Amino acid sequence: MDVVLQSLAVVLQPSHLLMLICGVVMGLSIGILPGLGGIVGMTILLPVIYGMDPHSAFGLLIGMVAVIPTSDTFPSVMMGIPGSSASQATIMDGYPLAKKGEAARALGAAFTASLIGGLFGALVLTLIIPIARPIVLAFGSPELFMLALLGMSMVGVLSGNKPIKGILAAGIGVMIGALGDAPAVPEYRYTFGIDYLMDGVPLVVVGLGLFAFPEIVDLLIKGHSIAETATLGKGWLDGVKDALKHKFIVLRCSVIGVIVGFLPGLGGSVVDWIAYGHIIQTTRDREKFGKGDIRGVIAPESANNAKEGGGLIPTFLFGIPGSGSMAVFLGGLLILGIQPGPGMVTENIDLIYTAIWSLALANVFGAILSIALSKPITRLTVIPFSYLAPFMVLIITFACYQATRSWGDLIALLLMGILGWVMKQYGWPRPAALIGYVLSDNLETYLFISVQRYGFEWLTRTGVIVLAAIIIGSLAMGVFYQARKSSKARASGERNGK
Amino acid sequence: MRKYFLFLGIAFFLVTSITMVPMVEGADFSGKTIKWIIPFNVGGGSDVWARLYSPFLQKYLPGNPIVVVKNMPGGGSIIGGNFFHTRAEPNGLTVFGSSGSTSFPYLLENPKVKYDFSKYQIVFATPVGGVCYINPNLGVKSVKDLKGFKKPMQYASQGATSLDIIPLLAFEMLGLNVKAVFGYKGRGPGRVAFEQGEVNVDYQTTPAYIKNVRPLIKQGKAIPLMSWGALDANGNIVRDPVEPDLPSMPEAYEMLYGKKPSGPGFNAWKAFFIAGFGMQKAMWLPEKTSKDIVATYRDAAAKVIADPEFKEVVEKSLGGYPQLAGKDAESAFDKVLSVPKKDRDWLINWIETKYDVKIR
Repeated sequence: MDVVLQSLAVVLQPSHLLMLICGVVMGLSIGILPGLGGIVGMTILLPVIYGMDPHSAFGLLIGMVAVIPTSDTFPSVMMGIPGSSASQATIMDGYPLAKKGEAARALGAAFTASLIGGLFGALVLTLIIPIARPIVLAFGSPELFMLALLGMSMVGVLSGNKPIKGILAAGIGVMIGALGDAPAVPEYRYTFGIDYLMDGVPLVVVGLGLFAFPEIVDLLIKGHSIAETATLGKGWLDGVKDALKHKFIVLRCSVIGVIVGFLPGLGGSVVDWIAYGHIIQTTRDREKFGKGDIRGVIAPESANNAKEGGGLIPTFLFGIPGSGSMAVFLGGLLILGIQPGPGMVTENIDLIYTAIWSLALANVFGAILSIALSKPITRLTVIPFSYLAPFMVLIITFACYQATRSWGDLIALLLMGILGWVMKQYGWPRPAALIGYVLSDNLETYLFISVQRYGFEWLTRTGVIVLAAIIIGSLAMGVFYQARKSSKARASGERNGK
Repeated sequence: MRKYFLFLGIAFFLVTSITMVPMVEGADFSGKTIKWIIPFNVGGGSDVWARLYSPFLQKYLPGNPIVVVKNMPGGGSIIGGNFFHTRAEPNGLTVFGSSGSTSFPYLLENPKVKYDFSKYQIVFATPVGGVCYINPNLGVKSVKDLKGFKKPMQYASQGATSLDIIPLLAFEMLGLNVKAVFGYKGRGPGRVAFEQGEVNVDYQTTPAYIKNVRPLIKQGKAIPLMSWGALDANGNIVRDPVEPDLPSMPEAYEMLYGKKPSGPGFNAWKAFFIAGFGMQKAMWLPEKTSKDIVATYRDAAAKVIADPEFKEVVEKSLGGYPQLAGKDAESAFDKVLSVPKKDRDWLINWIETKYDVKIR
């Protein structure tokens, strides 16, 4: 307990606070720019930390990475463009809310959820550090494969009443994910001799191509502003109240965020979709999802901030990154002369608590600053989109170009964008394609390892059976509610004499 | 809304200004910027290595040029290597940082590789070691117990053409029945797989070994078997100073078979060991670089290595092995290049038949 308070004293020193606030401002800026996320932020900051004392460096790096999932909500809600991969699912309901002129409410709810999620992540991190190793070790390759499969089962609820299209879209996503070097054999697939394709299509290109590009095109075609009503409706305070009212959703999704974050090898980029899918699966009245249900904003936003706390666990305790940005953070640790490993808990426990306090404080600063910014920024949704479009095109091409800094990024963005637009026009669920893409590598790698190592015996492992039961249960729940909804809809349709 | 634009603008400016690298041409280093191409991502081992070295190079290169690490990841470092080969001018302003993962595809004659280390000038090299350990429930206490040991073992591998050639070929030479399970993303996940019991034999590079495996050994969850070895000044493989009580791989062979290892398999193993561990990371100047520039660089590298402050960095973050500067690095790499073609062919053929992959 002494160490916890000592670390708090360190964190509250002016020099550390200054670094933390620098990190927070940087993180908010990067989050607000569509397509740029924690990896880019870490990459920019890494050269700066050379020679810094570890506590200050932690303030800077963790301050930055903690608030990206807070501010990346702005473009997701207001323009339907993912601010980073952590806020893709926020688009589903946040953007329709903005169209209704309720952007401020959506943002208020999102920031409150982010704050609670972030603090919860920090709390769980504190409690779980002593017992984290056995938990992480309980997830072998077969279990990780089942978790990827659980992620894929979300495709069902995200496709609404078009299950066939959803499955096919997910299949397209898996195939895009299979481009480039194969995970388990030294081979390159479908590269057609193009160097760019050797590492596959980057996540940011797929995300912006599928979501941002079609939105910009359609808004330009319609030629009006983002908000379809002239006046802006409810304010951010209503959003805060919404988040507090749905406190159990916030807590449940924070738990999901922490778990996905601390399981290494799952990658953080699906956490928002898993939370979003979970909330639809477990809700009775789901007619409004996708049309501007505030719960659809709260769920992913609480999960994505909680994830960062979880992601620190494998990074510190095993020296293996829980997400892309943590991979770069790991390099930062080495530059600071810290070799992560189980010894961290005994030798560098003060640093771990510095990280946790930094995480918590950054979330508070990030949420306050974002709420302060939200009022002027929501005004953006009422100006004609033709003024905004050139700027948005510039930003998304810039963001994509950051992925590998080659021409291939821009060409891939255009191709993905066209694919996304066509899918949107013909009502193919793009989230399904994205989930397929993100999970493709995990599915293949862990299945490959499981079969190589265990033959078919892996199917009989306890963890696998439990996860299989969860998958079947969640699918059944989804089908059950879906059936009730459609029978109710039929009943009401009959009453209305249709 | 103006505020939003202003904010976005500032953020945009911040990000671009930091990520754009200025290009300067010329032969004199004062006021110049040196671009150090690292064919891996930011935060990776090679990136950290270059970032630890660059401030010191900056200090000792005449004229104190700015040394910028330019990450150019892709294709397992082949893209960055090819870029260096085709674009770098021999003016001392573009240098290349290679790793074992860069030299292996070159040695294996991967058709995608255009770069050719035999044409470049090496500046300095950084060695690393590797320690192999096993699960105690196999009943093996030390290398001696491996004589005639036929129990099946599993090793979590990143791929048959990766640095894992060193452990896989070592297991083969020692006559162990090890099944390689492919698909792991690196040594970190491999170690976790070991702790989970998914595999029962593993190795770690020495810095990770010290921090992560020694605690396991203390708890009785792992038994160290051998190190791959370390390169001495005469180019012989000796015991790794990190674990002086453990035999090196060639010693282990001798303990089991009563004779020194020899033949095409061992020749190839040794060449790949030097390229992958004995001088795992190296800085290179392009083809046709003038003698002056090469000498200037090598001189600066020698001064960096002698700097007491840098020695601390080596101790803390680079595994603590003596760094190889100039001629030492050159003669070590000559040992890699001089491995007979037939031995290399033997190795390629062994990988292709044993793991059913196509390399060339």
